[in-house]
Amino acid sequence: MRRTRRGLGLIVGVMVLSLVAAACGSSSKKAGTTGANAKVPKGGTLVLSAEQELDCADFIATCGNSLWGSWTVGEQVLPRAYDVDTQSGKQVPSILLTGEATLETSPKQKLTYKINPKAVWSDNAPITSADFKYTWDQIMHGKGIYDTTGYKNIETVDTPDDHTVVVTFAQPYPDWKALFGGFYGVLPNHLLQGKDRSTEMKDGFKWSGGPWMLDHWTKGQEIKLVPNPTYWGAHPNLDAIVFKIITDTAAETQAFKTGQIAAMFPQIQLDQASLKTLPDTTLSVPYNFNYEAIWFNTSKPVVSDKAVRQALSYATDRDLIVSQLFGPVAGPSLKPINSFTTPANKEWYEEPFSKYKRDLTKVNDTMTAAGWAKGADGIWAKGGQKANITMRTTTGNKRRELTEQILQSQWKEAGFGLAFDNQKSGVLFGQTLPAGDFQLALFAQTPTDNDPGQCTNFCKANIPTSTNQSGANYTRTDDAQIDSLWTKIDQEIDPGQRKSDVTAANKLLADFVPALPVDPLADVIIYNSAKLGGPIAGNPVYGMYSNMQEWFCKTPAC
Amino acid sequence: MKARSREDLSSGRAAAAVGSAALAELAHDHAPIEAGAVAGVEPEARSQWQLFWRRFLRHRLAVVAGGTLILLYLAALFAHQIAPYTLNPNLGDPKVLLQARHGPSLHHWFGTDELGRDQFTRVLFAGRISLVVGLSVALVSTTFGTIVGGLAGYVGGLADNFLMRVTDLVLVVPALAILSIAGKASHGSVVTIVLILSVLFWMPIARVVRGVFLSLKEKEFVEAARASGASGFRIMLRHMLPNSIGPITVNATLVVGLAIIAESTLSFLGFGIQPPTVTWGNMLAQSEGSVGTPTAYLIYFPGLAILITVLAVNYLGDGLRDAFDPQSTR
Amino acid sequence: MLTFVVRRLLYSIPVLLIASVLVFFFVRETTDPLARLKGSGNRDLTLIQRETHRLGLDKPLTTQYGRWLKDFVRFKWGDSLVSGRRVSTDIRDKLRNTLQLIFWGIVASAIIAIAIGVYSAVRQYSALDYTFTGLSFVGLSMPPFWFGLIAIQLLIFVPKETFHLQHPLLYSVGIHSATNHGTLDYVRHLILPVATLSVQLVAGWSRYQRASMLDVMSADYIRTARAKGVPRRVVLFKHALRNALIPLTTIMAIDIGSLFGGLIITETIFGWPGMGKLFFDAINNGDTNVLLPWLMVTAGFIVVFNLLADLLYGVLDPRIRLA
Repeated sequence: MRRTRRGLGLIVGVMVLSLVAAACGSSSKKAGTTGANAKVPKGGTLVLSAEQELDCADFIATCGNSLWGSWTVGEQVLPRAYDVDTQSGKQVPSILLTGEATLETSPKQKLTYKINPKAVWSDNAPITSADFKYTWDQIMHGKGIYDTTGYKNIETVDTPDDHTVVVTFAQPYPDWKALFGGFYGVLPNHLLQGKDRSTEMKDGFKWSGGPWMLDHWTKGQEIKLVPNPTYWGAHPNLDAIVFKIITDTAAETQAFKTGQIAAMFPQIQLDQASLKTLPDTTLSVPYNFNYEAIWFNTSKPVVSDKAVRQALSYATDRDLIVSQLFGPVAGPSLKPINSFTTPANKEWYEEPFSKYKRDLTKVNDTMTAAGWAKGADGIWAKGGQKANITMRTTTGNKRRELTEQILQSQWKEAGFGLAFDNQKSGVLFGQTLPAGDFQLALFAQTPTDNDPGQCTNFCKANIPTSTNQSGANYTRTDDAQIDSLWTKIDQEIDPGQRKSDVTAANKLLADFVPALPVDPLADVIIYNSAKLGGPIAGNPVYGMYSNMQEWFCKTPAC
Repeated sequence: MKARSREDLSSGRAAAAVGSAALAELAHDHAPIEAGAVAGVEPEARSQWQLFWRRFLRHRLAVVAGGTLILLYLAALFAHQIAPYTLNPNLGDPKVLLQARHGPSLHHWFGTDELGRDQFTRVLFAGRISLVVGLSVALVSTTFGTIVGGLAGYVGGLADNFLMRVTDLVLVVPALAILSIAGKASHGSVVTIVLILSVLFWMPIARVVRGVFLSLKEKEFVEAARASGASGFRIMLRHMLPNSIGPITVNATLVVGLAIIAESTLSFLGFGIQPPTVTWGNMLAQSEGSVGTPTAYLIYFPGLAILITVLAVNYLGDGLRDAFDPQSTR
Repeated sequence: MLTFVVRRLLYSIPVLLIASVLVFFFVRETTDPLARLKGSGNRDLTLIQRETHRLGLDKPLTTQYGRWLKDFVRFKWGDSLVSGRRVSTDIRDKLRNTLQLIFWGIVASAIIAIAIGVYSAVRQYSALDYTFTGLSFVGLSMPPFWFGLIAIQLLIFVPKETFHLQHPLLYSVGIHSATNHGTLDYVRHLILPVATLSVQLVAGWSRYQRASMLDVMSADYIRTARAKGVPRRVVLFKHALRNALIPLTTIMAIDIGSLFGGLIITETIFGWPGMGKLFFDAINNGDTNVLLPWLMVTAGFIVVFNLLADLLYGVLDPRIRLA
C-alpha cells in the first residue's frame, strides 16, 4: 500500500553526484556562516524518523538498494572518494582525497587517487589504498553483490604506496566519479580482510570513516548515531542523532506533529499541504533525480504510430498536472520535467520535450498528416482502428490515479479515448512491463546516478525477452539512430564530445517519444525550525542527511 | 450447566474465527434455544408470522435500525440522484481544486478532500460498494454454510466430522492474517473480496445450522415425516429448513455487519478493495494522514457511516432474535 | 489432570500439522517469495535463477513442504528474504514487544468487562445498564482501526491544540520516546494501542459477563444462600461472581485468535514494533520466510491458550473432571 516506498520505480545503476535544487539555495548559503561559526549551540540529541528500516548494513550486497539504509547509516559512516557539493551541485573530490583524481584516457582509461594522509578510521588506523583495493575486490568477488556496474570495467587496482591508488580500466567508464562513492563507499581492509564481510557488516558495525558512527541499532525501533571522535573533518555539533523507525507515513506525520521527531523527509504527497499551516514548520521541495513519465509500448496498436505518440504529447497539459498535484505542497517552483533527467542533474539536464505544450491544433495537424480522421464520436480512427488506449499504473497510489483522471479528460477533448487497468506494483513491475503487456504505463524512474545514459531504457539490446530479462526497455523502442548514439555515449570518456552527443540523442528521443516525462517525483524536507538549526538542504543522492554534522539543536532537546 | 457450557464453547469458537465477539455471543447465547422453540410452533405457520411481527415491532430499537438500514440501502441505490456533486469531478478543471480542503459546510456537508471532491458524495457512493459487499457476503456464506451445516447435521457421520475438523483448523490461525494474505494476492476487486470474505464466514453459519439440525432431527414432527416415507432431501428442505429460519436469518444479518467491518479493515490495511473503487474502508485509508491536521474531518464521516450501518445491522439482528424466540425475557 | 493435558497436547499435534500443510500451500500459492526481487528493477535473470534454486523453489511443492517442515521443527526457520536476518531472532524480539500489548490488553479488558458485566447484572435495567449495553453495541459495531484513529485525534491532537500543550498527553507512535525511557513515558505510549486492542474485547466480554452473571443469580443455590440470610454482598461476590467467571475464561481464551488479528491493525497504526507489524511488513514484502513461521507461532499460541482455558475451566469449576 502507500506505506511502502521501495518498488515505486526502478533502481538502475550505482549512484552518486549531483545537485541541489534551487529551493534550497537560500538555506545552504547559511551553511558557510553557521558551519564555521563557533557560537552555534553545542550538544543535544536530535530525533529524526526513518521511513524504512535499513534491511541490513551490508551496503554492497543484498542491501545495496536500501535508500534509507544509506541515508541513515551508510553515508554517515563510510568514507567516499567523490562527494556532491551542496552549493554548486558538482561532483567534487571528498575530504578523503587531497584533490581531483588524475584521469588519463589512453592507452587505457586510468585514474590516480591521492588519499588525504589525515584520513583515519575510527580506530585511528589510516585509510589507505589497500582499502580501495579491498572494496573493489569485494564488489567483484563477494557473494550476492547488488550491482557491479563500473567496477566490472576495472582491470586492476594498484597500490604504489599507502596514499596512492591507481585504477586501470579494461573498458572505458565515463561515469568514473561514481566509483568508490555513492552508497558503496570505501570499506576498511584492515578490519574486514580475511573475514566474512557480510556477517561483519549486516547487523551494523561500530567502525566508521565518516562524521558519525553507529551507537546502536534496535531493530524495528531506532538507530542511534554518535560523533566519530577521530573524524578528520568538522566535528558534529550534536551529541547524538536518533532515527526512530516509523514505516507508516501517517504515523510519521503524527510523530512530527506531536514533537516526537524534529524533521522528516517523505515522498511528496498531497495531504502534506496541511502541514504548512503548523507553527514553526518549514517545508521545501527540492528536485532529486526521480521522475515520473508516461511510457508508450511502441509495439502495441495505436501507440506504435509515432504520430499518435506525438499527438498525445501535444494533447497533454503537463503544467496543469504538476500544478494540480504538486502545487499545493511544493508551490509554483516545481515544474514539469522535459527530459529523462531532472533539473537536479544540472550537468546533463536539457529540455528537448519542452516543445510539447498543450496545443489541439498541433494534435489535429499531426494526426491528419498521418492519415487519421475523427469519427462521429469525436475519436480519431484509421483503417477501422479507433484511438482508444488503455493505461496501466500501480493501484493504491492516489496521485497516479488522479494523473490518469486528468489525462482522461484532456485526451478526450483531443479525440483519444483513455481507459485504466491498474495493477499492484509487484505485478506491474514484475510481470506486465517485462512482458510488454501494456499500451501505456505511468510509472517512475528513480536513478541513483547522474549519468545521462539512456541505453538501459531505450536501446534494442535491452528489450526484455524470455532469455534476456535484465533490460529495462519496456517501451520496446527499436530505432537504429537512437540505438547507435546512446550506445556510443555509454563509452565516450571525452566530456565535450559526450555533451554534444547527449544533446543530439535527447532530440531523437523527443521526436520518437517512447515516453513522455511528466513530473519530478520529489522528496519533501519538513522540519521544526524552532528546534532544528543549520544548513538543511536536499541532496539528490544523500538526501537531507548529507551534512548533519553542521546541524544543531536550538533547544536543549530536539 | 455443564452440558450447555460445553455446547457454548464449540459454537463460540466458531464465531471467534471471524474475529468478533459479537457473533460469538449470538451463536452461543441463543441458537440452541431458538431451535427447539420455533420447532414447537410449526403447524400454525400464519399465526406464527403474525406473532413474529408483533414481537419484532415491540423491539423499538430494532425497528428504528431496520428503518435506518432501508434508508441506507435506498440512499446507495439512488446515489446518482441524491449526490449533490459528481463522484469524479473533472480534475483538469482548476476550479475543482479551489474547493480543496474545505471543512464541512452547507455546500459540502462532509467537507471536501485535498482534491476538492465532495465527501458527502463519496461517502454515498462508497456506501454502495460497502453495503453490497456486506449483503453479498451474507448471502453467499449463508447459502453455502446452510447447505454444508445442514448436511453435516442431518447426515452426521463423516460429513459432520469433516465440517467440525475443518472449522477447528481454521480457528488455529488468526482470520485477519489469512484474509490479508488472500487480499494482498487478489486483484482487489469487489467480487474477489466478497468471495474471500465468504470463504471465511460460511463456517460459523455452518456450525450453527448443524447444531440446529442436530436438535431438530430428534423432534417428533421430523420423525413423523420420516415414518410417512418422506425422503431425506424433502425432510431437510420442507421440514427442517423452515424451522431453522430463525437462527439462519439472525446469523446472516450479523454477517452483513461483520463483513462490512472486515472489508473496511482489509481496505484500510491496503489488502482490500482498491481505488478508484470507493469504499468506506479505502476512504479511511486515504485520509489516515489527516489525523491531527485541519482536515481531520475526513476521518469522521466514512467511519461514522460504517458505525451507523453496522450498529443498525446488529440491533436488527437483536430484534430478529427476540422475535424468533418466544421465550425471550426481554 | 495430567493425562488430560498430555492428551490435549497430543491432539494438538495433528491439528498443527494439518494446519501447517494448509498454511504452507496457501502462502506459497498466494505469495511469490521472489516478487520483491523481480519488482525491484534488478532483472538479472541469473540472480533470479540463483535465488529460485537457493530457496528450492524449483522443486515440487510437496518436496518443498517436506523440507520446510523438517527445518521448521528443528527451529531452523531460515533468514528473512528482505533483511537476511534470522527469522527466529526477529520473531523472538517482536514477540517480546507484542506480549506487552497482549498482557495489558487482556488485563485491562478483563477488569473493565467484569466490572461492567457485574454492575449491569446487579443493577439490571438501570440507566447505567442501558448505557453500557448501548456502548457495547457501539464498540462491537466499530472497526477497531477507526477507533484508533479517532482516539489519536480526540485524545492527542484536540487537547494539544485546545490547551496549547508543549507535549501531548499520550503518544501514538512507538514504545517509548527516543530520549526518555521512563515508566511514565512507556505508559503514555501504551495507553492508546491497548485501548484500540481492547475495544471489541471489552464490548464482547462485558455482554457475556452480564449474561452469565444473570444466569447464575437466578440459580437456585444463590436464592437458597440469600434465603439463609447470607449478606447480599457476600452472595454476589463470593458465590455468584466466582461461578459467573467460569464461562468468561473460555471466551477469553477463544478470543486470543482475533487478538492476534487485532495486533496487525493496532501495531500498524501505532508503529508498535511487534508481531502485527512484522506480519504487515512481511506481506508487503512477500517475505514468505517470515509469514510461514509467523502463522505457525500464532497457531501455537492459540492452541496453548485454548488448552489453558480448558484447564482454568477445570480449576474454577470443580464439577468438571478433566480426563
